[in-house]
Amino acid sequence: MLEIKNLHARVEDKEILRGINLTVNPGEVHAIMGPNGSGKSTLASVISGKSGYEVTEGSVELNGVDLLELAPEERAAAGVFLAFQYPVEIPGVTNTYFLRAALNNVRKHRGEAELSMTEFMKHIKSKVQMMDMDSSLLSRSVNEGFSGGEKKRNEIFQMAVLEPSLAILDETDSGLDIDALKVVSNGVNALRSPDRSVVVVTHYQRLLNYIVPDYVHVLMEGRIVKSGGKELALALEDKGYAFVEEELAAKA
Amino acid sequence: MAGTSEMIDLKSTPHSLVENFNLMKGLLATYGPDELQVLREKAFRNFTEFGIPTTKDEEFKYLSLRALEDGRFAPAYGATIDRFELEQSVLGPIDAINVVFINGEYAPELSSAHALPKGVFIGSLKDGFTVYEEVILEHLGKIANLTGKLGSTNDERFVYLNTAYLTDGAFVYLPKGVSLEQPIHLIYLSKADHGPLVSYPRTLIVLGENSDAKLLESYLGMDGVYFTNAVTEVVMGESAILEHTKFQQEKLESVHIAATSIHQSEDSIYTNNNINFGGHIARNDVNVWLDGEHTETWLNGASVGLGHQAIDNHTRIDHAKPNCNSFEVYKAILGDHALGVFNGKIFVYEDAQKTDAKQTNKAILLSPTATINTKPQLEIFADDVKCTHGATIGQLREDSMFYLQSRGIPKDEARGLLVYAFAAEVLEKVTIASAREVLENALFAKLKESQDMPEKGGE
Ligand SMILES: Nc1ncnc2c1ncn2[C@@H]1O[C@H](COP(=O)(O)OP(=O)(O)O)[C@@H](O)[C@H]1O
Ligand SMILES: [Mg+2]
Repeated sequence: MLEIKNLHARVEDKEILRGINLTVNPGEVHAIMGPNGSGKSTLASVISGKSGYEVTEGSVELNGVDLLELAPEERAAAGVFLAFQYPVEIPGVTNTYFLRAALNNVRKHRGEAELSMTEFMKHIKSKVQMMDMDSSLLSRSVNEGFSGGEKKRNEIFQMAVLEPSLAILDETDSGLDIDALKVVSNGVNALRSPDRSVVVVTHYQRLLNYIVPDYVHVLMEGRIVKSGGKELALALEDKGYAFVEEELAAKA
Repeated sequence: MAGTSEMIDLKSTPHSLVENFNLMKGLLATYGPDELQVLREKAFRNFTEFGIPTTKDEEFKYLSLRALEDGRFAPAYGATIDRFELEQSVLGPIDAINVVFINGEYAPELSSAHALPKGVFIGSLKDGFTVYEEVILEHLGKIANLTGKLGSTNDERFVYLNTAYLTDGAFVYLPKGVSLEQPIHLIYLSKADHGPLVSYPRTLIVLGENSDAKLLESYLGMDGVYFTNAVTEVVMGESAILEHTKFQQEKLESVHIAATSIHQSEDSIYTNNNINFGGHIARNDVNVWLDGEHTETWLNGASVGLGHQAIDNHTRIDHAKPNCNSFEVYKAILGDHALGVFNGKIFVYEDAQKTDAKQTNKAILLSPTATINTKPQLEIFADDVKCTHGATIGQLREDSMFYLQSRGIPKDEARGLLVYAFAAEVLEKVTIASAREVLENALFAKLKESQDMPEKGGE
């Protein structure tokens, strides 16, 4: 279970997250929607431990573990996975080497034995099929020269291999055509399970037709200003974020 | 040049590199046709005239050659290396047509006999003379030659030195139209188990029109303290294609000074991968002369220097004809107290319109006591050209670090992986699979020696 309480974070002197409260139970999928610049990626970064953000207040716990105390790799070992909005290219490191190093580190943390190359290849075989990955991508350098769609697919593939207990997808739908969107969504849906929490960050409703969320939250100016069921996403699609702003103004 | 106090005047001060010549003169003269003796005598005079360079000399500004000045190097002597030892060495897994030399002397027992396409020659220069004397004499000593070329600081002393002692070496000849499937591997082993020695490997590669080959040139130290002074000349016929990888893993107490000169004719494509991990002092000059239109040249370099190693790469590309493209990427990883030097010259001659030349030099310093000196040197005498150069001295990129860490890879391991990857990107240019794997393993092993590198886990 992910529990975020009153989270405030800043970059340099600018406060970007201004009191986020969010609980995601195991088995649930939560969507976080919001206009550009509202702090969605910042929230994802703070949860996964990217440097450059200062948490000034609040807490983030995963299954009772205080994430904010941990290095990024320890958070990964604790079960956090972030599918990047902009996956990084790493020339010179093959996808296979990278993933195996990642998986073995995570397994080591969990007290599981490391996988040999053969065991590893067996482990990933079905995931390669599920993600409809061109297997030549495995022996290529991480994300180098991948198309936008291939990069996003590779993110979800990594998630499938690492089997995290919390998956955060940051705008995984951006830049995907409809076929790729379906493949990526299938990948995510296949990972839905009673002991896994999923947070889907997007600013379009489209993805949520395929990955149907249990809850939808609207993030604006660093706060969750409205929460609801999946119908909230449809309302946003229909009326835009302006209607939330008007509601807020009316309340104030 | 005589008279400056810094210069090592070889005419008045005795030095083994000079004395050896007088000792060996008679013996040298018995090797090869008479024309060679003329070359040797002239080169010897030139070398003694100019002496050993010091840091006062522009082309050796950053590289101290004290180890050469102070060292005494005996003429190369024979040593035994058996097949098993070679197979167990880092080069063992490379599957190729092998031509092997020990301390500069051809070792037929370690070389592999192969059925070759008609007219192809791959073997020792000495054997080459029996079939292709004319071809050899046409090119030998003519390619590694800057006479009449641009540049006010041209310095060919170590080519003179090599030529003065020219005896055996490797000769590769591909006639017109031959595409050789199997890679060629020229292996220069050094084993100085009876005191410091000097050897002078010489290589001549002649590719006929439309021929195509992949060639590795390895320098591997087995034992002792020694000086390797190598010269390699490459002749690219029209439309010829060559992937040429040089792998230098000399002993860390040794001195390696080498020049590789290439002559490219019209439409030829030449790739040079210059990989340097060894040597207390390692110096490479790679000189490419573009003598025909529509050529393509790729110069890739990867060096790792640790401890007190000094690795100095000088490259020059002479764009003498229009419509030629050259691409150059040189990378260095330097740790401890190591020194790296990169000097990249690009000359664009007056006629060479539509030249496209791109040069990049990148270095990662693993410790605050490591240094890199970078000097791009573009001299352009044509007006319609595209020439770019860039140099970065880098820390590792933070977003790459975070990406790896966010997948569970600990910081130290992520750092090791990225440093490895930085150089491995260059090794990827080597398309001989068994060689690339050997190079990757050698890189990995090399980085593990660093004080500043964490252990890279997972393997
Ligand atoms: N590293 C950073 N440095 C400066 N400003 C930043 C940084 N990261 C994010 N911001 C700012 O924080 C705000 C929220 O950004 P972000 O979290 O990326 O929004 P979203 O993902 O919702 O589009 C924006 O105004 C952005 O400019
Ligand atoms: Mg964003």
